[in-house]
Amino acid sequence: MDSTSTPSAAEPGSQIAPSQLQFTGNAKEYFGIWIVNILLTLLTLGIYSAWATVRTKQYFYGHTVLDGHRFDYLATPIQILKGRLLAVGLFVIYSVVSGYFPLVGALLALALALLVPWMINQGLKFSMRMTRYRNIRFAFKGNFGEAMVNFVVLPFFSIFTLYLLMPWVLKRIDAYIHSNIRYGDKPVHVQLQGKAYYKAALLVVLLGILMLVALGIVLSLVTGVGMNPDDIGSSQFVLVLIVPLYLFVISALQGIYQAQIRNHILNNAQIEDVAEFKSNLQPQRYALILATNAAAIVLTAGLAFPWAKVRKVKALAGATQVVLLPGADQVLDNAQQADSSFAEEAANVFDVDISLT
Amino acid sequence: MIKGYFYLPNSSRVQEAYARLSDEHIAIYAKDECVFESTQTALNVAAHLPGQASELTFADGARFVPHDVAYRWPFQQRKSALLARLESNLALILCALVATPVLLYALLFKLVPGIAVTAVQAMPDTVVEQMGQQSMVLIERTVLSPSELSAQEQQAVFTLWHDTVSQLGLSAEKYRIDVYRSDHFGANAFALPHGQVVVTDELARRLADHPEALRAILLHEIGHVERMHSVRLASQAAVASIAIAMLVGDMDIVAEVVLGSGSALMDLQFSQNMEWEADNYALMQLERLGYSGEDFAQALESLVPLDEEQSQSWLKYLSTHPSLQERIEHARSHTTP
Repeated sequence: MDSTSTPSAAEPGSQIAPSQLQFTGNAKEYFGIWIVNILLTLLTLGIYSAWATVRTKQYFYGHTVLDGHRFDYLATPIQILKGRLLAVGLFVIYSVVSGYFPLVGALLALALALLVPWMINQGLKFSMRMTRYRNIRFAFKGNFGEAMVNFVVLPFFSIFTLYLLMPWVLKRIDAYIHSNIRYGDKPVHVQLQGKAYYKAALLVVLLGILMLVALGIVLSLVTGVGMNPDDIGSSQFVLVLIVPLYLFVISALQGIYQAQIRNHILNNAQIEDVAEFKSNLQPQRYALILATNAAAIVLTAGLAFPWAKVRKVKALAGATQVVLLPGADQVLDNAQQADSSFAEEAANVFDVDISLT
Repeated sequence: MIKGYFYLPNSSRVQEAYARLSDEHIAIYAKDECVFESTQTALNVAAHLPGQASELTFADGARFVPHDVAYRWPFQQRKSALLARLESNLALILCALVATPVLLYALLFKLVPGIAVTAVQAMPDTVVEQMGQQSMVLIERTVLSPSELSAQEQQAVFTLWHDTVSQLGLSAEKYRIDVYRSDHFGANAFALPHGQVVVTDELARRLADHPEALRAILLHEIGHVERMHSVRLASQAAVASIAIAMLVGDMDIVAEVVLGSGSALMDLQFSQNMEWEADNYALMQLERLGYSGEDFAQALESLVPLDEEQSQSWLKYLSTHPSLQERIEHARSHTTP
């Protein structure tokens, strides 16, 4: 009756070989799913978007394979639809009120700020609960107070420090999210350092300035030295160039930042007794992938989106290894029993995915 | 015999196993020992997804996932297979590629404005009143300051306004005018949905010697109120944002960009049309009151020096107002029908 999936787990204490995370999907299959999702969503005036979300997530989760076992996305379209209708309802009230009653709208915006931490927690809770690996669901156990401090209060105050505090705030946010995740009954531990965030932010800012200067020089060379305001043709040409270039540069900078932060988080995280992670995503390579993805999407008027998404996910999986610890076979999911209780059913009315995007 | 993994309920334990199908039953064997048995009706089969094995979920939460990703169970629902067939059907994909932009256009440029117009017709007066008053409070607090014109200069504007409103036979109670100083607006005039019109000091001064030009501008603003343009814009924005919120559920960034820019273009086109409508209203009323469209042309011409930068810009098509030159020509051609 013993598990046969992790033979290496039989020898605790020895150096365990990490398992490579794999993504087995392909752009061709996803393209079909994506375009049919869009078509049906438009035809049903948005109702199908709930089914589309589930199908897309099932495709991406199910094609993410670790140690021979795939991940599962468990939400049902009805749950997503309920959540979306709730969110759209809130949004309708807000946009109607702020359109016709601007003063009340301004007050309502303040009230919504109070709702933000709750919505973030609910969204994280939902997406974790709907993720499963080997019959064990993930969970999220955040609380309103901490979410309020990390997502609303600290970002607001960092404005007054000229955003010098922002990398530290981002570290707090990541620490809050990751240390409140559970895998079944096992907690996740992360040890994040502000230094890594400041390093990443500084690099991105410096590279950003460098690229801006370089872009400025290139543009002035292309359009002739000293822009002639009468020369409308050339300024139009510059505009056509600037938008894709802007997207290209922004995506590249994003890639450099995200790769460093992802490596830092995963290399310093572990699920107690279950797993340790290794991420060796190369910033320059990831930047190139994101930048060329953005360019391809713009140049094909969006058609390259499925290809770009699959390519990105493949790169992320390829740079990730997981060390399964001996306890990986002994995880129990006690949350699932509670699921059937009446109280949980009642709570489920609001336990829906409320993220709009 | 189908090889696969057997996942125990509520546990991370996994067993290498194989499934055996009989007429009504399915049995799971691990190490030649039967570990689970179920009828085919007491289990759930996952939806068809390309490249993914169809897993079985049993009543107690245990699962069996075949190793062969292409394997499909004989008792699997046909419904979920239909979607998978659609998604890999080349003809359908090509149809979808053509239909998507057409549907997007119909939705954003036909359905949304249609609903918005209907919403405006059903709008109670109290809502319009509130909308105007609250907007005014916000604008007054943020970008307006008390007029610095002399009482005499202000009186000239008021008199002109009252004459115009009574000549048109409009309610003097609903239509009121105020003069404010504003660095933000410069020489400008705007109308609020409930009938309040604001003229800035700079515009009043610039047109002090051309009351007929100022009258033309005031008529243009009255046109905005009469045609309920602000209410239409607000409905338009509300309906569009609802439609977009419903749609972007799973269309990701691309759709957001497309839909976002689509609705922005729609707004601009909408407000351009509104400017023409207000112009036409002004020209019509001028003619009715025995003045000429030339007044309006002159009023616009006196604003030309301000607009020079803008009219040269490549953003002409994206500007909310039609180009001044076009409007002047339009006004002139209106005088000789």
